[in-house]
Amino acid sequence: MADRTMNRGTGSGGSSSGAPASQGLFTRQSSGLVRELGIPAATGIALASVAVVNTFINFYSGLFNFTKVDMVLPLLLAAGIWLVAMFAYRYLLQAIPRAGGEYIYLSRIIHPAIGTMVGIATAVGFTYTLSANANFAAAYVPFALNSLGAAFNSSALTSAATSIANTTSCGQVTCSPGLAICAVAMLVIVGLGSIFSLRRIAQIILALVIFQVLAFLVLGFLFATHSHQDFVNALGSFSGHATAYNDVIALANKNNIPLGVDLGASLLVIPFMVLNYNGVLYSYYVGGELKRPGSTYIWASVISLVLLIVVWVGVWLLMRNTIGLDFMQAQAQVGGTTDYGSITSLQANAGGLGYGLVLSGDPITKILIGLAVPAAELAVDLAFVAVVTRVIFALAFDRMLPIGLAKISERSQSPINAVILAVAVGILFTIGGSILNIANISANLALFFALVLLAGSVAALALPFRRPDLIKNPATNDVDRVGGIPTAAVWGALSTLCALFTVGVIIAKPSVFGAFSFVSVGSLVVIFFSGPIIYLIVRQRRLASSSIDMNLAMRELPPE
Amino acid sequence: MAFGQAKDRRALRLFFATDIHGSDRCFRKFLAAASIYEADALVLGGDIAGKGLVPIRSHNGTLSAEVRGEVVSVPRAEEDRLRAEINRLGFYSVIAGEDDAKRMAGDAAYLNEAFTNAITDQIQGWCRLAEERLPPNVRCIITPGNDDPLAIDPVLKSAPRIECPERELCEIGPVLLASCGDVTPTPWNTEREFPEAELEKRLSAILEPAPPRAKVVANFHNPPYGSGLDYAAELDETLHPVIRGGRPSIIPVGSKAVRAVIKKYQPVVALHGHIHESKAAQRIGKTLCLNPGSEYSADVLRGVIVDLGAARDYNDFLFTSG
Repeated sequence: MADRTMNRGTGSGGSSSGAPASQGLFTRQSSGLVRELGIPAATGIALASVAVVNTFINFYSGLFNFTKVDMVLPLLLAAGIWLVAMFAYRYLLQAIPRAGGEYIYLSRIIHPAIGTMVGIATAVGFTYTLSANANFAAAYVPFALNSLGAAFNSSALTSAATSIANTTSCGQVTCSPGLAICAVAMLVIVGLGSIFSLRRIAQIILALVIFQVLAFLVLGFLFATHSHQDFVNALGSFSGHATAYNDVIALANKNNIPLGVDLGASLLVIPFMVLNYNGVLYSYYVGGELKRPGSTYIWASVISLVLLIVVWVGVWLLMRNTIGLDFMQAQAQVGGTTDYGSITSLQANAGGLGYGLVLSGDPITKILIGLAVPAAELAVDLAFVAVVTRVIFALAFDRMLPIGLAKISERSQSPINAVILAVAVGILFTIGGSILNIANISANLALFFALVLLAGSVAALALPFRRPDLIKNPATNDVDRVGGIPTAAVWGALSTLCALFTVGVIIAKPSVFGAFSFVSVGSLVVIFFSGPIIYLIVRQRRLASSSIDMNLAMRELPPE
Repeated sequence: MAFGQAKDRRALRLFFATDIHGSDRCFRKFLAAASIYEADALVLGGDIAGKGLVPIRSHNGTLSAEVRGEVVSVPRAEEDRLRAEINRLGFYSVIAGEDDAKRMAGDAAYLNEAFTNAITDQIQGWCRLAEERLPPNVRCIITPGNDDPLAIDPVLKSAPRIECPERELCEIGPVLLASCGDVTPTPWNTEREFPEAELEKRLSAILEPAPPRAKVVANFHNPPYGSGLDYAAELDETLHPVIRGGRPSIIPVGSKAVRAVIKKYQPVVALHGHIHESKAAQRIGKTLCLNPGSEYSADVLRGVIVDLGAARDYNDFLFTSG
């Protein structure tokens, strides 16, 4: 007989071994180790998928594309949409606690072909996003170098910023080889970082997120401790024109740009803010690695949402107070004109970071502000690699992609071949984007993300009807209901409505959210419909040589 | 690409899972697998006993216990719900006063008895569940692993709906199933551990009586050494992972005896478990070796569907995660 003493061996979950009787769990001598991701790691992945400082880009986009816009209401309403989606996805994760996101949910609940459609699309779309984020970070390298140059009084750094930004003619487009090299270098760093275990990656991501939040707090402190007049004076000094502030507003008035707040216009900005939060729920993509999937996911998502609301709404209100809404609206509208350039060199699309740079007097603040965006994009790409590789892993596990892509590294427990594939394709997208004009192909990226949200919401809506056995309450032998309607369906329906609203606004405003062309729509169609075609080919090929239908692997077992 | 061309080659479909460690939810999924995966026989390959025992305190009509790291209190009327919640984590529960808890902490034999009772109670319950739920034409084979106390063997053998052919050859359709839950020594010093030489004798004794042309499927809990089915973290004397170069050192921990026996007898398929984190498929000679791994702590039942043909040369598999 084995020695079954207390305080030895390994216990899974609950108290660790070594707990005295008063702590509530005895463990016996038995073999095996358990790997689990807790709330901090899941929160890190969720926050990094969002990129906290990217909000300035979306603030700018909203102010640039619409007039008389304020961000408070859109920020709150968009958070509400994600809150609804969060509850809908909770049911999906509880029913199917595994990695792979919408692919897994749709293939198990609706049909493998539909799941593969969304799975392949998210794999391609998210890999493109890796490249887009790397390009975005590269575009901010000159800003970062200028900030560091100002912090260290280094002309070499500011010269490097100018050199990196130099453009030349590359194939179909004007490109900047320096920025392209920066983007590729970042993806290589991301690839190397992604070889570590997910727990370690999550720790790195969390550190980068903390860095961003620190930069935000410093910005908030700057805005809170400076008066409006301080900013007016600082901008004058920065621009070499004492009246720069009023000149920008006067320029907007001269161009008949209406300033102020209009509720209807503000509502149109909601899709920008929905995209702003995009990623806040992404811990469900690593659902198979979460400790207690349902509650860990909810806690990580709620903490992330609340933190983002507080930070973003807080910074926006501070900016309104210190910078002034009229100035921000005017600057976004006229920031690209020659007249604006003759007033000030402050980069309009840098938004709050630019205002912070104007107000900051010490080198530490300049360093923090300068490095905030690269740190954010590095965190986003690390998180997206974690997300996209889990989708690739799930597809490969089900044999939709070569089984080698589901290989797990014995050292890091990460899908190493999937990481290599994602980073390699990301680099190809980056290089391709620098020498070819692929703007048309990716024009409907906002619509793509909204459609993925819609797909997940529909899966939640269908869950209690298609697979009630997966969410049956053992006490009542029925699914939980509100007014006779399954609760999961209620949240799924609400989330579907929110997603449809977002899709509707995006389609209704192509000039803002992405124009529809033959190439852009064709790209979406190819990306989405390649999945079912792959599914049909792979299934038929397998059936020709095997007696086991691969669909069996996509049948979720009922837990009760 | 003819649809269903290979379908007729199947003579038997097995569904194999292992290492569910007391997870009630995984066992229910295991039973459901018969109909979901259209299996003719279910095989659960050992390590079915749980690892933790949660004492439930009774005080003034209220029951309290630590669940998921938090103290949960419920009225006595909700005892079943509380126990079910604890069991869902793969733990057992026992109503214990302060004195009982103190005795468990200080008296190894008393704690051992409490564990054995909890384990056998659960397995008896599972046997009843199998009787209720399994279709009559599906065979259900459950064999022990090294983490299972010897006390479960008679429980399994006496259950009318369960077969427990431990250290025996058992005929299932066109194949003979050879089962053994014994393993080589582990750092945890569990039951059913034997030195390599002794294990090789035991395994050979099971396989030796098989007719020369018989189609044998091995159900050996221990995976073969260096097969890719046996990679695990290297542990030091304190059972903590050994770190080399900033990373946990991963080493093969399988059995050389199992490997030698597979090479000698060449069963068509060998089903293994034991190493949760080492899901893999590998051929040793003509033998297809499979370890579906285990994710019982996440309520996920990992398994493998194995189709075997009447002809010796046909077998196929598909890993599942349900």
